[in-house]
Amino acid sequence: MKRFLLFVVWLGAFALPALAQERRVAGKVTLAEDGNPLPGVSVVVKGTTRGTQTDSEGNYSLTVPANVGTLVFSFVGTTSQEIPVGNQSTINVQLGSDTRSINEVVVVGYGSESKRNLTGNIAKVSGREIENLPVTSVEQAIQGRAAGVQITSLNGKVGQGLQIRVRGSSSVSASNQPLFVVDGIPITTGAPGDPNATAALTNPIADINFNDIESIDILKDASASAIYGSRASNGVVLITTKKGRQGKTQFELNAYGGFSSPTRKREFLNTQEYVQFFEEARANSVALGLTNITQAQLQNFFTANAAGDRANWEQGRINTNWQDQAYQDAPIQQYDLSARGGDARTRFYVSGSYLDQSGILINNRFRRLSGRFNLDHSATDKLTLGVNMNVARTVNNQLANDNSFTTPMQIVALPPISPVFDPTTNRLNDQTYYYNSLLDRDFASYETTSYRVIGNVFAEYRILPGLSFRSEWGADILNKNEEQYYGRETLLGNPNGVGINNFAQIVNYTTNNFFTFGRTFAERHDVDATVGMSYQESSTNFTQVQGRDFPSNAYKQIVAAARINAGLSTETAFSFLSYFARLNYRFNNRYILGLVGRVDGSSRFGVNNRYGIFPSASVGWILTEESFMKNIPVISNLKLRASYGLTGNAEIGNFGSRALYDGTAGYAGVPGQAPSQIANPDLSWEKTLQTDIGLEFGLLDNRLTGEIDYYTKNTRDLLLNVNVPGTTGFSTQLRNVGQLENKGFEFVLNTQNVRGAFQWSTNINVARNTNKITNLDGQIIQGGYINQAQEGSPIGVFFGREYAGVDPQNGDALYYRNTANADGSLDRSTTNNPNQAERVVIGNPNPSFIGGVTNTLSYKGLELSFLFQGQFGNQIYNAAGQYMSANGNFFDNQTRDQLRRWQRPGDITDVPQARLVGGNGTVESSRYLQDGDYVRLKTATLGYTLPKSLTNRAKLNRVRVYVTGQNLLTFTNYTGWDPEVNTDAAAGNIGLGNDFYSAPQPRTITAGINIGF
Amino acid sequence: MNHIKLSIVGSVLAVGLLLTGCDNKLDINPINSVDAQQALQTAQDLDALLVGAYDALGNGNLYGGNLLRDAELLGDNGETTWNGTFLEPAEIARKAILTTNGQVRDTWLAAYYAINVCNTVLANLNLAEASERGRIEGEAKFIRGTMFFELIRLYARPWGDGDANTNPGVPLVLTPTTVLNQSNQVPRNSVAEVYAQVIKDLTEAETRLPATNGFFATKGAAAGMLARVYLQQGNNGPAASAADRVIASNRYQLVPIEEVFDLRLFINGFNTDETVFAVQVTDQDGVNNLNLYYAIRDYGGRGDIYIQERHLNLYEQADQRGGLFYEDDGGLIRTAKFVNQYGNVQVLRLAEMYLIRAEANFRNNTSVGATPLADINLIRARAGLAPLTQAQLTLNAILRERRLELAFEGTLIHDIKRTRQNIGTIRFNDPRLIYPIPQREIDANRALVQNPGY
Repeated sequence: MKRFLLFVVWLGAFALPALAQERRVAGKVTLAEDGNPLPGVSVVVKGTTRGTQTDSEGNYSLTVPANVGTLVFSFVGTTSQEIPVGNQSTINVQLGSDTRSINEVVVVGYGSESKRNLTGNIAKVSGREIENLPVTSVEQAIQGRAAGVQITSLNGKVGQGLQIRVRGSSSVSASNQPLFVVDGIPITTGAPGDPNATAALTNPIADINFNDIESIDILKDASASAIYGSRASNGVVLITTKKGRQGKTQFELNAYGGFSSPTRKREFLNTQEYVQFFEEARANSVALGLTNITQAQLQNFFTANAAGDRANWEQGRINTNWQDQAYQDAPIQQYDLSARGGDARTRFYVSGSYLDQSGILINNRFRRLSGRFNLDHSATDKLTLGVNMNVARTVNNQLANDNSFTTPMQIVALPPISPVFDPTTNRLNDQTYYYNSLLDRDFASYETTSYRVIGNVFAEYRILPGLSFRSEWGADILNKNEEQYYGRETLLGNPNGVGINNFAQIVNYTTNNFFTFGRTFAERHDVDATVGMSYQESSTNFTQVQGRDFPSNAYKQIVAAARINAGLSTETAFSFLSYFARLNYRFNNRYILGLVGRVDGSSRFGVNNRYGIFPSASVGWILTEESFMKNIPVISNLKLRASYGLTGNAEIGNFGSRALYDGTAGYAGVPGQAPSQIANPDLSWEKTLQTDIGLEFGLLDNRLTGEIDYYTKNTRDLLLNVNVPGTTGFSTQLRNVGQLENKGFEFVLNTQNVRGAFQWSTNINVARNTNKITNLDGQIIQGGYINQAQEGSPIGVFFGREYAGVDPQNGDALYYRNTANADGSLDRSTTNNPNQAERVVIGNPNPSFIGGVTNTLSYKGLELSFLFQGQFGNQIYNAAGQYMSANGNFFDNQTRDQLRRWQRPGDITDVPQARLVGGNGTVESSRYLQDGDYVRLKTATLGYTLPKSLTNRAKLNRVRVYVTGQNLLTFTNYTGWDPEVNTDAAAGNIGLGNDFYSAPQPRTITAGINIGF
Repeated sequence: MNHIKLSIVGSVLAVGLLLTGCDNKLDINPINSVDAQQALQTAQDLDALLVGAYDALGNGNLYGGNLLRDAELLGDNGETTWNGTFLEPAEIARKAILTTNGQVRDTWLAAYYAINVCNTVLANLNLAEASERGRIEGEAKFIRGTMFFELIRLYARPWGDGDANTNPGVPLVLTPTTVLNQSNQVPRNSVAEVYAQVIKDLTEAETRLPATNGFFATKGAAAGMLARVYLQQGNNGPAASAADRVIASNRYQLVPIEEVFDLRLFINGFNTDETVFAVQVTDQDGVNNLNLYYAIRDYGGRGDIYIQERHLNLYEQADQRGGLFYEDDGGLIRTAKFVNQYGNVQVLRLAEMYLIRAEANFRNNTSVGATPLADINLIRARAGLAPLTQAQLTLNAILRERRLELAFEGTLIHDIKRTRQNIGTIRFNDPRLIYPIPQREIDANRALVQNPGY
């Protein structure tokens, strides 16, 4: 604290003598292409935070210090310009269009900075790029657009969770998701669901309408992210919402509508194939003594499942394609209306939006009604105040997770011999072999309603020229109400109906208070500094009540339940108290030094380890400023930068260090308690040391710009749920033991291929990341189905038996033994006994490359943009293969590829002999592992802006019509539904790359209109 | 200038106030749980912990049902069929268990969890009121002894196969775990050592437990479990007398055959007069996984196990136990022993005591308490069957009676091992009939050795 005060005094001392004469500069900013005035252009005295914006006519006026060097003019979508002031008092500027300017301003923690002067690595996605994409949440929208940011939709359900990895996984047991900060306030990204249910978790980020977003800045390296200290190791996603702009109020109306369908369907056996297949499987198993099921018993089974009529299966009268029953018509529509404007003193942005998106799976729907109000007001020359406020209501008709009989996709397991409707009752068939989840469609409901307020108020006071103090007070309040009702006809609701109500409330307060300082000294020394503190407190309350026995399905609220059979309430909380400082120093406009530090204290850390220090340092060198480079006209920009720093991961649970007892051990109505956690007084945050070396370049007058980064992220003190001997009465203990590393490179290239009336630009980003766990204290930690965290391998490698195909002599499934020979080599002989086959690493769920390519073409009012996104080098494990591709092991309907089964000696195939309950080749093995590489036409938009002459006649500013397609094409060798998958039933840090009855991504096609007036 | 200085001082003060105001805000204590030190301070705390031990015993992986289900599946010789989707029980039913079998892992973890709770109770007996101390100790030892008994029967070679003094059993852990260190790397004790500890615990439990104790463990429960242990060892004299102590206590009565099992639906379970010990299940708490796997969907089950004709053929025409079955809509035969989703899980009941006493007396040529013939005929009479004559009373007749009386109740594999029968071609001591030490345990505890065959 003392040191902090001293620093402030020191800052003040610096600033005082600099109060010299000031003078006025004014001018007009226009767009180079058409000469139209540009409102809202930022005009900043270079190296300071002093500046203004142009008004509605493009005019500005600014008081500048006498010794000022340069003014920086920047505007989203244009190339920035830097104009030396000299003696001029009028400076008119023309800005050229640029879809991806290198001089854009990027948002950093507690401030913003010109990209030119940045020494850290920040990926920026502008709100314009993702406007009106037909997806629910912002992370989905930026998929493929930011280098090194891997975003995986778990499956094709709407409004449900996603996995994000910035530069790989840096943790084994703590969270790997980045910190999300909206307008300076860290937001809640996880909400508790029903602790007992198998529901897929909702995604609180979907509460934000991303059409309100101005920009998304992803802090990736330590220099950029260390200002968020103990929560920065997974990267930080800064979301900045649209602010008001001085000028005539501009209204904008957006509307689009469309529909979704599955990107792919799989093929299953039809009735004739099914019957034949299982008759063969039974006969094989009987011949081998594996079962005693008789032919008559099997046929009785068929008849019982085929509505009791032998002819139904024998003559193929019933042939149900159950998969088609899992899907629904899936319309989508969104409406947005916004207004943006203000005068010199008060600026505002208000918007309202409604989204209604149906999932491709039955009963899956997401609706969001949201409003935003952003306002800032200059009370005096020195004092600015404002408010950013988002209010949203979302309604999500949820589904159970993929590992649930009631989830729609598991319906594919039903034999095709069973009818959808029972012919005797004409009701939905409730006598199916497995549960008919259509009963849930008709007799169950699962609706989650969230109310969300994310807002903050702020005041900024300019104490001195170049020195200001800003105070932000924000809150993120999330109320989530889950209402579930299962009618008596359903699996869960049997026999008289079950109702479940969950209510979660998460209240998350933050305050940030900081000084910023920016000055140029002696024309050659630029100093920017930020210093301040932050406090955050979050508490989560959860209550649940469960009732059963309802008079009828007309009653769905628990008040009508005859019996209340479960109820609970829980509460948990955490807090962070932090101090941070950043100092950027530039010499001669070419040598840049950045120092960042944060001290984080948290209630999560043990008393002995309560505060952690997270420093980083970075340097930059703008070579093109050097005289020796100025003569090379082809190179317009060249910058080298390097950073090194320490960040942490504090997502270690709220009370992980303590020895705990739980009071949940009651027995038959008598209260009880029992130990639930063994203490670890030394528990602390995970630490990541990150090095980043980057090169930024611009060639041919910045027609070609790009960035190349190489990084290493070494994480130690990994928080591990270490397996301890079960004989202790505990199965795991939280410890900081492990180490892992991520290293890789990122490559970004932006080109303007064609300029002029016809324009064509391309943005390419490619990232390679290699993850390796270097130390787990000898532990092996399992996750997913066969994923494993183990030393020497990337996180989540698939560890299992290696399938060796089928014995051509007898149709047995074979496995490589892979036992170690005396000489250390592996025994590559095969065995039909899986217990004699060692489990080995058989695959890696982490892609070696991810990337995206966006092309934008425009001619007059017409524009076309399309994004190809993909990942390469990873494998996918279809954990459901044991059931759906099991050569007739159970009565599950089988994928059609099982028709390749071995039938007679000499057959060469990869599908073993069909054996009912024979377990022939059905153990977890590489049989169910496939390459997951894919390239996908993620988004394509064709738009047409009506000519001004036409729109002006209708007194409109702008009218644009467009069609957008999402997930239009997929190129992959994966034979499952979708290579973009990680089943929500097993997704986690280690549970990666698994498919388990996971719905494919929707292919969505929409048509829309934007009207500006 | 003054103005400027003031604003600097003002904002610095504002920040300073925030900082000092916040520091104690980092002290947030757990709310749902309690720090271990606070959890055990009074006699009530100890009572609650003891209840926690029962809760652990009633875990779905233990007497909540899976332990009993798996004893039936592992011993099955085609009288039942597993047709569920869970792979772990399927492996057990096929006698092809992988070392990574999740059930084998979970049974182990759940049993040692219960043992650690008992050890914690036993280490804190000083908290108990003097008058309650004996009972609490008895209950904890009953649960601990029972758990070690279940573990030794599943994870080690059967008693009498090879040398119990050298055959590896399971680790004996008799003190609570408060810290984790190298001392937790415990090796397997011998089969003989584990059996000795089981007998010690159960004997002390029987001494200290009261004759009645609500639905918690009683003197009779400890004696009943002890009878099982001795019978498993072929130690017939003590087996007969332990069973006889339960019977002679006159606390328990045979009930009509249709009342032995809870034939109601979706109603909280109850103990019958015949119940010596049962895990309590209500719609609030506890699970009955026998119902889950044996019962059809209409009765709250998954219907994963159905019964084959060949089992039904074992019952004589008049045997009322042969009526404890129903046919589902698909024509499959189901046992009616587990139709109530919230019915208690019977662990020990009086009929088994008669069967143990009869068998042990018969093998020993004694008649502790009663003659084997009288005991067997008591069981037969309750099932509506004519009495056997002395000439008809063979060991096989006794075992057959036992099989029919206790079908699906979780004794099958242990009886097969005890009586050295084959399952098809698989001999009673085949390594396939012994669980592997769970792979995760081998990985976490280098002192453990794996069983042969894995």
